[in-house]
Amino acid sequence: MLMPRKVKHRKQHRGRMTGQAKGGTEVTFGDWGIQALEPGWITARQIEAARVAMTRHVKRGGKVWINIFPDKPVTQKPAETRMGSGKGNPERWVAVVKPGRILFEMAYPDPVLAKAALNRAIQKLPIKARIVAREEGF
Amino acid sequence: MKTTDISLTATTGRAIGTGPSRRVRTEGQVPGVVYGLESEAVAVTVPWPDLRRALSTDAGQNALIELDIDGSTYLSIVTELQRHPVRRDVIHVDFLRIDPDKPLSVDVPIVLSGRSEALEHRKGMVDQIMYTLTVLARPGGIPNQIEGDISGLEIGTSLTVGDLPLPDGVTTPIDTDEPVAMGSPTRSTVIMQQEEARAARIASGEATEEDLAAAAGGGDAD
Repeated sequence: MLMPRKVKHRKQHRGRMTGQAKGGTEVTFGDWGIQALEPGWITARQIEAARVAMTRHVKRGGKVWINIFPDKPVTQKPAETRMGSGKGNPERWVAVVKPGRILFEMAYPDPVLAKAALNRAIQKLPIKARIVAREEGF
Repeated sequence: MKTTDISLTATTGRAIGTGPSRRVRTEGQVPGVVYGLESEAVAVTVPWPDLRRALSTDAGQNALIELDIDGSTYLSIVTELQRHPVRRDVIHVDFLRIDPDKPLSVDVPIVLSGRSEALEHRKGMVDQIMYTLTVLARPGGIPNQIEGDISGLEIGTSLTVGDLPLPDGVTTPIDTDEPVAMGSPTRSTVIMQQEEARAARIASGEATEEDLAAAAGGGDAD
């Protein structure tokens, strides 16, 4: 699973996810992409599950790009612990995603199979997302 | 000499800022700016249906547009189109005034044509790396697209910028060795070849299954 090799600070504030994505809103590497339509935190597990789902569907053919990276630590207190005694322990890594962000990209010669694979990947994500193509029409 | 049939009327005197720009968009107009040819930049608005029609020709975003600003016409080209990240509608447009006799730099789409039988036979795929090519051309000679023939592509070979046929009067500042598309094996082909090589090594007695498993170190193939 994806995670940073080393970090400057082990714990972070939660932050806000207002507005739209500022960059990374165009399909740049592949022919098709998955675009987020809602803000949210995507965990490293969800990213890996989506990647495996689409790679298996195209029988390991084609090419897949992951455009997001889970660089934010999320902490959690152990179960049945009394409140206080500071912030919990880092438990998982998430990528902060805003609407419009391209999450994954794919290059595959058959558009029908590529779209089906991307649909499977969308099922693994905790937010609403859609498939977008490289070409821009009016 | 008339170089284009596409004309667009731009209105000047719009207020600058987020609020006024949003109001302009709700009225079916697109805020924009016109600059170039060492003149002052002018903030304008253009009607969205007319802009859409102007950019829906075969020339796409490189269409030459006769821009009518307060009674004077300028030959112009769209240099930047800002879109809303989710709705994808155009929220701002940049027009560049151009001289019909001077070459200008534009990005032209690259379209791959043909089928590589050698690649299909060996279960490979075409990996397109470059989708647009920056070219220098006079406004009247900008090609709509550049076709790259991939019928001779094999696994391990590539189509470079030098292989692309450029029309007369069109040059590119991009290095001719830059790859446009490459013939590469699919991941399933690579895995199949690795499995065949592994089986051959075991059959020849060169290595046992345990040795190869230890050398690979496990890991997820997906």
